[in-house]
Amino acid sequence: MRKEGKKRWKRKEDKKRVVVSNLPSEGRSYKENPNRHYCGNQIKTSKYTVLSFIPKNIFEQLHRFANLYFLGIVVLNFVPVVNAFQPEVSMIPICIILAVTAIKDAWEDLRRYKSDKVINNQECIVYSRKERSYVQKCWKDVRVGDFIQMKCNEIIPADILLLFSSDPSGICHLETANLDGETNLKQRRVVKGFSEQVVQFEPEHFCNTIVCEKPNNHLNKFKGYMEHPDQTRTGFGSESLLLRGCTIRNTEVAVGIVIYAGHETKAMLNNSGPRYKRSQIERRMNTDIFFCIGLLFLMCLIGAVGHRLWNGTFEEHPPFDVPDAKGSFLPLALGGFYMFLTMIILLQVLIPVSLYVSIELVKLGQVFFLHNDLDLYDEETNLSIQCRALNITEDLGQIQYVFSDKTGTLTENKMVFRRCTIMGSEYSHQENAKRLETPKELDSDSEEWTQYQCLSFPARWAQGPATLRGQRRAQPLRRCHSAQVPIQSHFRQRSVGRCESSQPPVAFSSSIEKDVTPDKNLLPKVQDAALWLETLSDSKPAKSSPSTTSSIADFFLALTICNSVMVSTTTEPRQRVTMPPSTKALGTSLEKIQQLFHRLKLLNLSQSFSSTAPSDTDLGESLGDNMPTTDSEERDDASVYSGGYSTDGGYRNSTWDQGNIQGSGLDASLEEVLEAPALGLASPELYYEAESPDEAALVHAAHAYSFTLMSRTPEQVTVRLPQGTCLTFDVLCTLGFDSVRKRMSVVVRHPLTGEIIIYTKGADSVIMDLLEDPACVTDTDVEKKMRKIRARTQKHLDLYARDGLRTLCIAKKVITEDDFRRWVSFRCEAEASLDNRDDLLMETAQHLENQLTLLGATGIEDRLQEGVPDTIAALREAGIQLWVLTGDKQETAVNIAYSCRLLDQTDTVYSINTESQETCESILNCALEEVKQFHGPQKPDRKLSGFCLPSETLPPTSRAAIPEVGLVIDGKTLNAIFQGKLEMKFLELTQYCRSVLCCRSTPLQKSMIVKLVRDKLSVMTLSIGDGANDVSMIQAADIGIGISGQEGMQAVMSSDFAISRFRHLKKLLLVHGHWCYSRLARMVVYYFYKNVCYVNLLFWYQFFCGFSGSTMIDYWQMIFFNLFFTSLPPLVFGVLDKDISGETLLALPELYKSGQNSECYNPMTFWISIVDAFYQSLVCFFIPYLTYRDSDIDVFTFGTPINTISLTTILLYQAMEMKTWTIIHGLVLVGSFLMYFVASLVYNATCVNCNSPTNPYWVMEGQLSDPTFYLVCFLTPVMALLPRYFFLSLQGTYGKSLILKAQKIDKLPTDKRDLEMQSWRSRQRPVPIPGKAQHTHHPVPPVPERAFRASTPKSSSPPERKYKEDWVLHGEKCSRDHLKDHPCPGDSSAKLSSREYLLLGPSKTTTSGAYSSGQTDEYRPSSRGSHRRSQSSLTI
Amino acid sequence: MKRTSKDSRCKLPDNTALKQQQLPAYQLQLSATGVLSGFFATGVFCLGVGIILILSAKSIKEIEIKYTEICGNCAKLREDATNFDKECTCSIPFYLSETMQGNVYMYYKLYGFYQNLYHYILSRSNSQLVGTDLKDVGNCAPFSKSHDGTPIAPCGAIANSIFNDTIILSYNLNSSIPIKVPMLRSGITWWTDKYVKFQNPSSINLSSAFAGTTKPPSWAKPVYELDEEDPGNNGFLNDDFIVWMRTAAFPTFKKLYRRLNRIQYFTEGLPADFPVTRFRGEKSVVLSTLTWSGGSSLFLGLAYTVTGAVTWLASFSMMAVHLLLKDRKMLFIQQ
Repeated sequence: MRKEGKKRWKRKEDKKRVVVSNLPSEGRSYKENPNRHYCGNQIKTSKYTVLSFIPKNIFEQLHRFANLYFLGIVVLNFVPVVNAFQPEVSMIPICIILAVTAIKDAWEDLRRYKSDKVINNQECIVYSRKERSYVQKCWKDVRVGDFIQMKCNEIIPADILLLFSSDPSGICHLETANLDGETNLKQRRVVKGFSEQVVQFEPEHFCNTIVCEKPNNHLNKFKGYMEHPDQTRTGFGSESLLLRGCTIRNTEVAVGIVIYAGHETKAMLNNSGPRYKRSQIERRMNTDIFFCIGLLFLMCLIGAVGHRLWNGTFEEHPPFDVPDAKGSFLPLALGGFYMFLTMIILLQVLIPVSLYVSIELVKLGQVFFLHNDLDLYDEETNLSIQCRALNITEDLGQIQYVFSDKTGTLTENKMVFRRCTIMGSEYSHQENAKRLETPKELDSDSEEWTQYQCLSFPARWAQGPATLRGQRRAQPLRRCHSAQVPIQSHFRQRSVGRCESSQPPVAFSSSIEKDVTPDKNLLPKVQDAALWLETLSDSKPAKSSPSTTSSIADFFLALTICNSVMVSTTTEPRQRVTMPPSTKALGTSLEKIQQLFHRLKLLNLSQSFSSTAPSDTDLGESLGDNMPTTDSEERDDASVYSGGYSTDGGYRNSTWDQGNIQGSGLDASLEEVLEAPALGLASPELYYEAESPDEAALVHAAHAYSFTLMSRTPEQVTVRLPQGTCLTFDVLCTLGFDSVRKRMSVVVRHPLTGEIIIYTKGADSVIMDLLEDPACVTDTDVEKKMRKIRARTQKHLDLYARDGLRTLCIAKKVITEDDFRRWVSFRCEAEASLDNRDDLLMETAQHLENQLTLLGATGIEDRLQEGVPDTIAALREAGIQLWVLTGDKQETAVNIAYSCRLLDQTDTVYSINTESQETCESILNCALEEVKQFHGPQKPDRKLSGFCLPSETLPPTSRAAIPEVGLVIDGKTLNAIFQGKLEMKFLELTQYCRSVLCCRSTPLQKSMIVKLVRDKLSVMTLSIGDGANDVSMIQAADIGIGISGQEGMQAVMSSDFAISRFRHLKKLLLVHGHWCYSRLARMVVYYFYKNVCYVNLLFWYQFFCGFSGSTMIDYWQMIFFNLFFTSLPPLVFGVLDKDISGETLLALPELYKSGQNSECYNPMTFWISIVDAFYQSLVCFFIPYLTYRDSDIDVFTFGTPINTISLTTILLYQAMEMKTWTIIHGLVLVGSFLMYFVASLVYNATCVNCNSPTNPYWVMEGQLSDPTFYLVCFLTPVMALLPRYFFLSLQGTYGKSLILKAQKIDKLPTDKRDLEMQSWRSRQRPVPIPGKAQHTHHPVPPVPERAFRASTPKSSSPPERKYKEDWVLHGEKCSRDHLKDHPCPGDSSAKLSSREYLLLGPSKTTTSGAYSSGQTDEYRPSSRGSHRRSQSSLTI
Repeated sequence: MKRTSKDSRCKLPDNTALKQQQLPAYQLQLSATGVLSGFFATGVFCLGVGIILILSAKSIKEIEIKYTEICGNCAKLREDATNFDKECTCSIPFYLSETMQGNVYMYYKLYGFYQNLYHYILSRSNSQLVGTDLKDVGNCAPFSKSHDGTPIAPCGAIANSIFNDTIILSYNLNSSIPIKVPMLRSGITWWTDKYVKFQNPSSINLSSAFAGTTKPPSWAKPVYELDEEDPGNNGFLNDDFIVWMRTAAFPTFKKLYRRLNRIQYFTEGLPADFPVTRFRGEKSVVLSTLTWSGGSSLFLGLAYTVTGAVTWLASFSMMAVHLLLKDRKMLFIQQ
């Protein structure tokens, strides 16, 4: 137990957590457990227990100001000097309020408790020493120090240090979707030194001490070391930590020791509770409540002073002035002061107590209807909208800015192969397009599809050598995503087409993505091509001629080979297929296969050391065979296994030849097996695990043409041809994708011809530069043909780009053995070099990837979610500014922006990419100046209004001439803006912009932007996103919306509302938002009116009772008045009233602006209603007063008509406010009215002497038999409501506001209504949404060639419709219809800025021609330079 | 955090009119055409009622005789507390120019007497008045007990300050012998007051019933000796007492005193006892007839007339606007 003592000492010593195995102390008393100080795995998110509920809840409720106020009033009631009627009675309202809120809290807490219980009682398997095996336990019983065994697809119960994995190389795959929304698999590695345990992990032999950091909430940060009994230490990091909430994938069994449990897990620490949001109406209301309090004090003061003065008029005490019990009278001033307090009690209702309860209830009702809206229900995910925040529904109606994530929010994140062009001929894949247009039908049977064929791509094999399983050669490809881990980890590329079937979720393999309908024209050609390949095998030395047939074959081979897609089977756990599973079907040579596997396994074992070496270094492609690879593994301080490693390295170095021989032997044997016939469709159960959806889409496309990727190892790729033949290519080298090169290449040796072929796939802008120069070709025919192909391909690419497709070019190159050997040695040098390694590697890649032959290009669609463009258009029409904040690449983002009509083809787009603050400032200045010129002088007011879109304030004529402006900005620039205090300039510029795109932004930046806009422009913001990277943005905005059903739950958990599709936002905002806002706003105003009106009656009476605080209304009646007689109609109004029907709201998004402008509830409406309330209360008091003056009426008999009158008035007022009368409205109104009479009559008939001094016995009855009562009760409401009614009628007839017009339209019969709406819309938008037809009106500027000579393919991208150029090189401005020289002041430093030019229409072909020709002579330096530049702009 | 497979139950919302907010509804849209007729109708109605009311108010015969100053001497006498039991009379002759038809009601009217003060209203004991517990003087302080501790019946400030002038209406046919006009003391209270809310304690006779209590300090006689003529009108059931105990809503009020049969020509002999000077108020006697609508004043009729007029005005102006803007309105529809 030496360790224990040491451990305790250590805990005191520093901020470390020390964990040892629980097993030695198992069975002993709790006190002896060394880990007892650590939190258990039970979680408790509920706030209360049964006992603590009442005190704790009351305490919490009293934190609210309003409750405190009412409590103060209650206390005041009990002060003896204050003349309260019945202090006990005054407690009733506050008690009811507290009770209602408490019940709501209790219900919410119960839900939390239940979900906790479910989670706590989930089961997992824990090792027990007693049983000498693993036993089942509940999650809550898991303790720190326990050994837990997890099987595939299990959820991890706590933060666990991985000690064993069934995977021979000690890898455990993990899906973190629950945590951060990333659906690709992550690798976790067994702690070094534990990977030797091949067979089974023995927890009892574990006697090491684990020292690690204290619990913290950094998901990707974890450090610690393990101390062996012999004092040696082994370090480990976050790559060995399995986080709670993640799911084990692809790994049969994993075992680990619990490090953090329960609330100390990183998942729980990251899960901060929902924050209390206060809606704008509530904020506005609070200020108005302060006004009311001011009013109250004023009235009380008048009462106090009045009392003092009135008392002062008597020289002696009159008989009605009752002294206190001792017979003495109060001094006048003191009497006045007491009267002040009395008046506070009397007039307390001025602050509407019931308002708070009513608002909560109304919001509950609104949420109920939100939940029940069929239009917000998504069948696919079986999810309706979830409202997680109950108190901000009305904010939905006031949104001015929407910040949206891109991937998964706007798009489905399903990449679909759409069309391709091969050797200059386009294959449009009409059937495919048709299929995509009817997604519903397909989606509906998606379940079948997953059952039938699940192909998966869990991506991210980026951790390099770790994935190697006895493969010595190449590493898997690495793409840009993994190259920039710190940023990328936040930003998901993918979503899951997750079907709610029993199948585990598989990335990028929904039916939509997998199922590609082959093009009719292309299919026979492909078959020819395949045949050609077959024949190739017969005549081995066939010369590769640039025939179309061979190109088609090459094209599909490239699609199949040139990627990093892994193949695995559906069986669980998904095992990597390193050879085609179909071999089993043959049944011919099973022994042979076994033999083969055995050999491979041996290799695996001998290589397992190398796989543990963590090499997080970037671009390093280890080129296994042809070079020494030690350097790439050597970077770790892993002294533990250095011995073992060196032998391994030795083995590697010495046996390259041997390995080669062995490899070829394998090949031979494999081929022997594989060449067998009858492969057929015997292997449908293939998962493709891709890093990115694009790759998956291409592989699927190739699969559709029967070029099936059967297996992939780092050294070999097996492809099945349409005829069933399998070809196995030796992969000589893989140059992974990175964001700088924007391409990837695979070097393979063709199994039939033996040629070394480079297949390259990449962004069109890049590949086009690298093509072999036609001029170099001697044969003129060939040259012509090449030029033609290139031009036509470029044309097709432009076409694709215009359709919003992501384009990729495919090219190939054949090099000689000698060249390749030379290059390999060059590459080895580069790998070995210590300085400049990255640059050198880049250079080597460029040496290889040039003089390419263009094969073709593909167009992939990142499918927009259904209804996105429509939703965006509607939101925009509604006056909402839409920004897209994405972590994605700029090009992708811009593409999506075009396809979802966020940007229009005719827009002028500014993109700013810079790191330096000065540059940024000057660019901003430039852009601002330019934009201001466009928009002329009227801009300033627009700026003030903040959220107005330029287009709406402009007259149609001038608008046609003014291009819309879009702004594209990247994360670096944002950094510069934030650091350089350029926020205001930036905001000013953005206000001229139709839309803003922020690319490459980190989650933090996203939230900073949201906060910036929210605070600086003081507008209402809404963020919508679906992944963990959007969480901060969702939380920063006034309303956060999570898209559920696609990614993990993080976004949903932190959101206020969770919807399942982006298009639901339209109805949510335009209809429900509008309704919620207008309902609640009008209800709040009504409440203020109601209370002021009622309370003033009492106040006026004070002038006739010597300011003594008397009331003429029975106290119970007063309480009932607020609680029962007048509370229900506003509630029903707040929940049900529709000022405009939903269809009209959807059809005329403009109506949403009324909410944005707070038309229903602003200081004006508030004060108008207060003044109206004063007027009405005057009428309601003085008409009865004047009627009954001088009569023999007594106090409470006088109160009865007053009460009745005010009730009638208030209810009638409500009736005028209600715009839609349903049966419920009517029932409630009439019911309230009748309830008053019934209750009063019963009360007055039964209560003889019950409520002194009222003694209401028979008062009501007496009044009802008095004709004067009826006369008064008819006249007064008429008088009181006449002005308002008159005004409303005038407004209703002649009002100009949109709402009123819409109401009128609403009343029309359907056919007329449609007509009217059309004319409305055409009136509002004289210029229709610019479509393609408009392009002709605005001819494309003749862009000088010079521009393109100088232009450089800076920042890549798949599909490009625009080219960038340096701002400095030519200070030209490009707008849609003019291009003039205009030197920007102070932009000399703006070297890094770029402007995007839109190339449209006729100029396209010429420009592309110019482009390519201009490019060729200087392509090397220029491309080189461009890489450098973009590099510098991409790295901070 | 956890995906539970139980979620798979259908969450499809019900497609009912209520839940989809599609209930059939009437849309309230106030527009000129619909409103105008309503305005006119209201105006007509108000004007009609107003005229009727005015006419009926005109038919009310009412005469008010202020006697504060004429009987000022008595008031002065009363100011000296020792003279509280001295008799003081004053008489005011008045001439009734018109015949008052039908039932005539005699009120006394007080000016500036705040019966509605908060403490004043409270200063009574309902349980005492209803006869259940004579000793219950809960809220009556300081008029709850006499100096020696005996409870006061009826206790409280309201009872203590009762209007105790005795008003006698005499008829002088030819200025020689005044003939006392017969006045009805009954029927001037609410029925419920007389028979439910006010009850004498049950006993053989009143004086024994009120044994153990004392009279309020400013009263001349104990409560069971208020009406010497009618023994049934004594104790808490005394009509004048009950009327007084129903506290008036405004500082200026009148209270029903006596009912009369037909009267033509009177002289009034009034023992002016009620002290008015202390609150600088006034008192008067009002003789009045009633109409179908009660003793309503002219005001209600006027108010109706004015309202009717205003409504008409509003409707006319709306019509004017309507006509003026008609072209523009058409424009809107066609725009």
